[in-house]
Amino acid sequence: MSSRRSRSRQSSSSRITEEQINDLVSKLQSLLPEARIRSNDRVSAAKVLQETCNYIRGLHREVDDLSERLSELLATTDMSSAQAAIIRSLLM
Amino acid sequence: MAIPNSENGDSAAMVRGGRKRKRRDAAPEPGHRSFSTWRTESIEKRYSSKLLEALRRIRNDAAEPRGNGAVRDAADRALAVAARGRSRWSRAILSRRAIKLRAVRRRRQRGMGELPRSLPHPIERRRRRRRSELVQKKAEELGRLVPGCRKVSLPALLEETSDYIAALEMQIRAMSVIADAVSTAGGSSVGLPDRSGSPSTG
Repeated sequence: MSSRRSRSRQSSSSRITEEQINDLVSKLQSLLPEARIRSNDRVSAAKVLQETCNYIRGLHREVDDLSERLSELLATTDMSSAQAAIIRSLLM
Repeated sequence: MAIPNSENGDSAAMVRGGRKRKRRDAAPEPGHRSFSTWRTESIEKRYSSKLLEALRRIRNDAAEPRGNGAVRDAADRALAVAARGRSRWSRAILSRRAIKLRAVRRRRQRGMGELPRSLPHPIERRRRRRRSELVQKKAEELGRLVPGCRKVSLPALLEETSDYIAALEMQIRAMSVIADAVSTAGGSSVGLPDRSGSPSTG
């Protein structure tokens, strides 16, 4: 592979080794929900990245849904009594 | 839930030159403490109160209903503020509005039809192709999802992503609590949700 060549060319600026990447990728993998179910077999970096993309897209959707829900609630709820309730629950 | 050992992050920092390890608080290294920071009660409370303030403002200012873009915006900005400038994605979110306003103003001055363009860096692409092309493609896809990380190196992208994911999970937790509290309180003042976020029956 040409990796040796690339590494020497990069040595002055940023020596990013495969090991470092794999390290970070496995750390990322541990944040994904499925990682807790799956065994500790090495999953390819590309797969982890793909699953991370999917996971983030899912999180974005959840935030969107919650935003929509909050929008509707804001429009219909009397905020003052609701606010008192929230502040109380937050301080508990 | 297993909290990943922070040693991985430390070794990465050490190889990178050790400098950043000493000034942890000042240095922009989100990946390090991402899992634990975003899970503390204090940050969730801080986030929730910021968001509540913003929601109150939205509610009071809106003569007409604004659509849920305003809430999503407020939720993201509050999240970025909670990050305290330590991550690229949070700084990108905070500068979003400024960029949009600048673009709108410029478009108005020059006439419609002129869109901001972002050119890829051909040189960067050529260098990175030595890493697997598939990994590179996936990394680009990921960079499009994490704010402000389109042209960031792969290690930095992975660090930002770890922090971003932890932050998003906190955002979802906090917004769920607020939504449940508001919907419960809207019906009756009895039956407040407990701290875990699940509304009591009734």
